[in-house]
Amino acid sequence: MNPMPTITDEERSELRRHGILLTSVEELYNWGRSHSVWPLQFGLACCAIEMIAASMARFDIARFGSEVFRPSPRQADLLIVSGTVTKKMAPQVVRLWNQMAEPKYCIAMGACAISGGPFKRGYNVLKGIDRFVPVDIYIPGCPPRPEALLHGLMELQKKISGQSISGPEAPRHLRHDTSCEYPVPEFGDHDLVPPKNPEVWKVPESPPKD
Amino acid sequence: MLGTGLLQGLAVTAKNFAGSFHDPKRLTTVEYPEKKSVIPEAFRNFPFLVSENAEDPMGTLRCVACQICEKECPPQCIYIEKSKDKKPDASGKMQIYPAVFRIDSSVCMNCQICVEVCPFDAIKMDHVYEIATSERFETLLLDRHDLAKPNSYFHQIRPLEAAEVDGRLTAERKAAEEKAKAAALAKAALAAKPAAPAPAAPPKPPEQA
Repeated sequence: MNPMPTITDEERSELRRHGILLTSVEELYNWGRSHSVWPLQFGLACCAIEMIAASMARFDIARFGSEVFRPSPRQADLLIVSGTVTKKMAPQVVRLWNQMAEPKYCIAMGACAISGGPFKRGYNVLKGIDRFVPVDIYIPGCPPRPEALLHGLMELQKKISGQSISGPEAPRHLRHDTSCEYPVPEFGDHDLVPPKNPEVWKVPESPPKD
Repeated sequence: MLGTGLLQGLAVTAKNFAGSFHDPKRLTTVEYPEKKSVIPEAFRNFPFLVSENAEDPMGTLRCVACQICEKECPPQCIYIEKSKDKKPDASGKMQIYPAVFRIDSSVCMNCQICVEVCPFDAIKMDHVYEIATSERFETLLLDRHDLAKPNSYFHQIRPLEAAEVDGRLTAERKAAEEKAKAAALAKAALAAKPAAPAPAAPPKPPEQA
């Protein structure tokens, strides 16, 4: 049996230069998905101001196809957790995430959303939204510049374009063995119940480098 | 009159829209990945460790692991372990160096307090902001190899501050050298003096300064 004829990237770009568009379903699908990532209109703290700045004329997130900030989670593809997630707010953030339709992505923007940041030692702040929601891109900074958000969005687009649409590496929404539902924590007497989702929150056991 | 404010605002919008065709100043958008906006010198985004020499960054770190920044850091994102041995620093003095120096950039809030408390000008604020990543633990925890950047880089991003720091450091080193020289001379004079007039009485050993 002959193997499938393959075409290298150089040959493909050479053909494109001559006006012949040769593509795969996967590439077309990922191209469409990665260039129309609609964020949820949702801000929690000061990082949201930078997110708003990124959507305005100077930085213009519309150049990346993400200008449509949707007021409803049902129409959004991207949850930008921009700011401090208090323990009282965390259940609502996870509920919004659950209400978003697949394919959906999450960006943790700023120190607070990644780890709790300056409020890490406080009793009332969630130490990173990735305890409950699978985060695709982390943007460190306090707050990150609007360009940093755009860079994060570009990284997300790269990640989306690299996904395969079949096989075990396929994204969540194309598989049948994964659930798109994440348990919503409850605001208990002392802490969130449960304090983390062990399926999402995975700490590497290996000691840090150096 | 009702609506004048609205009309004024729309007039500004129309002026900018029409003007952007012939006046490049009215094009406000920074085409980010291709062009980058000019960052002011005082912009700060994450600390880095200054090393004197680009070839041997670990050997020429200015940091002497005094741990003041670790204690002062408000979100406690710095972790330092002192070395057991000593290495000569830029002025040739034997100093402790950081065996482990980590900054968790997922916690750091860019407050610059570590820079302000550092008595050795060893830690400074960086200008890099394109650091988005999909790996939280591997890439956001920076160790001393990631943090070390040469003094020439510091000059590049903050020319004014770097010139001021370099001037101060050279003056300090010169003063220390002169002081050491003067102390050595005084010691030699003290050692030579009692030996000449009174050979009977054993001279006292000069006290350690």
